[in-house]
Amino acid sequence: MNPDDLKYHKEHTWIKVSGRKATVGITDYAQNALGDIVYIDLPEVDMDFEINNEIGEIESTKATSSIIAPLTGRVIEVNEDLSESPEIINEDPYGKGWIAILEIDDISELDDMMDSSEYEKYVEEEAK
Amino acid sequence: MKLAILGAGPGGYVAAIKAAQLGAQVTVIEETEVGGTCLNRGCIPTKSLAASSEMLAKLRQSEDFGIELKGEIIPNLSKIIERKNKIVNTQVKGIRGLFKSWGITLKEGRGVLQSPSEIEVTLKDGSKETTAADKIIIATGSRPSQIPAFPFDGDRIISSNDAINLTDIPKSLLIVGAGVIGCEFACIFKELGSEVSIIEMLPRAVATEDIEISEQLERELKKKKIKLYTNVKVEKVDVKDDGVHAWLTDGKETVAEKTLVSIGRAFNSNGIGLETIGINKDIRGEIIVNEKMETNVPGIYAIGDVIGGLLLAHVASKEGITAAKNVMGGDERIDYSVVPAGIFTSPEIGSVGLREHQAAEKGIKVRTGHFQFRTLAKAHIMGEISGFFKIVSEETTDRILGVHIIGPHASDLIHEAAIAIKKGLKTKDIAETIHAHPTLSEGMMEAADDVHGEAIHTIKR
Repeated sequence: MNPDDLKYHKEHTWIKVSGRKATVGITDYAQNALGDIVYIDLPEVDMDFEINNEIGEIESTKATSSIIAPLTGRVIEVNEDLSESPEIINEDPYGKGWIAILEIDDISELDDMMDSSEYEKYVEEEAK
Repeated sequence: MKLAILGAGPGGYVAAIKAAQLGAQVTVIEETEVGGTCLNRGCIPTKSLAASSEMLAKLRQSEDFGIELKGEIIPNLSKIIERKNKIVNTQVKGIRGLFKSWGITLKEGRGVLQSPSEIEVTLKDGSKETTAADKIIIATGSRPSQIPAFPFDGDRIISSNDAINLTDIPKSLLIVGAGVIGCEFACIFKELGSEVSIIEMLPRAVATEDIEISEQLERELKKKKIKLYTNVKVEKVDVKDDGVHAWLTDGKETVAEKTLVSIGRAFNSNGIGLETIGINKDIRGEIIVNEKMETNVPGIYAIGDVIGGLLLAHVASKEGITAAKNVMGGDERIDYSVVPAGIFTSPEIGSVGLREHQAAEKGIKVRTGHFQFRTLAKAHIMGEISGFFKIVSEETTDRILGVHIIGPHASDLIHEAAIAIKKGLKTKDIAETIHAHPTLSEGMMEAADDVHGEAIHTIKR
């Protein structure tokens, strides 16, 4: 159920790599754990950030949680549709619910990310 | 005892009633209208406008509640102002009625001190008369400060006094100053339909509040698409046909239909004869008093905004009561240690006591407890889930030092905390008190438990 062509980060974000660009979003597990999303504080375009740092926040009816950068880089585009309709993330976390497009600074960081089956195991472990 | 009071705002009118209750023969001199800034230009008008904008917000949320509205929801600002005026008038009549019942004489005109026992009053018809008194309380209040480079014109560059009487909703509004007044108007006009930007020279909105409260409010403003620029000042303003142009210190230029300047308050201490009788003022013009509300001139007291400090209606009233009792031979001292305050943004803010950063500045070791409104069933029922409760308590004693709430009804919820701090209660006292379910007040109990990591509805950390 987690797409195979994506890479996954331990803080429950996914990326889809295309050259030096990566589209980032939160996983289905994350959106499910959060519940109904009511607001997203999107990162700003041109913002530089480091891996494992907060790049934005998501508020759901249950909780407020940070969006953690899965890699180091720069924001080149954000999904503005989410500011009006953040619930898109619940509906389609791997598609229309993408959050931002990043320019990858250090391609080697990708090696530390999980593939879909690793992430599924990781989530099972975390749920225990 | 003949007592004269200069000013009938929440300081002066309360002092008048208290002194009359204690047997004084009281004359109150008021230039504009009883109730002062609070009732005529401040607390009451803005909260009335805020109530209309909240109603609008609720109606816009109606579908979430399962209610279908047919047709458009249109705010009519002149009718909103009409409602506001009606509320104000009712309250004004109430004060006038109280004066009558306590035998208080109201002189409507401008009073100027001639001596420590005489006030010359210029009545509304231009005639002058002198009021003699054994003692005098000065309660002349404050007014919106203006920036000399671009003074208020009442139309394009406006103060809060003007903002409460606009009859057309501005298409765009630039607010200078993200303090209490600026942020309240930002929320009101945004809901009514204006494009709103705020600029603030300090690093954060409502800068006197706890830092986490400011951060949460800033996020709520962002959610509403109110643009907030901090650490920036206005360099120049130019009123042109297409709007008010403002150039900021960061190089940006903004254009808005109107500019609301809410950068603070100036003290009404000029032209009332203070110099004639030698009353000491501080550098910003505020009258200097001691904790018995006495000025340096025997028999002359001062209360309310005009003495500076906390410019809050309820503080002025307490100062008024203190002064009145002392006028009548008492030995009362004002106690500012517990002053709850409300900010009527959307969502509201309520705060009392120490902010976390103040504790650090004072070298007090504290613990904090938090609880999110979104965890409360009642918040979901109301459809208002943003915000949190925060308790700051002393690490060694567990005593509650400060409570900061942002969320629905925060200004009402804060009073449990005010009593707790006043009485030196511990977080355990709040946590161990049964709070009714389902209410917002449960959040206080949970935040108190969270100080010790024991909140029930918080996941294990």
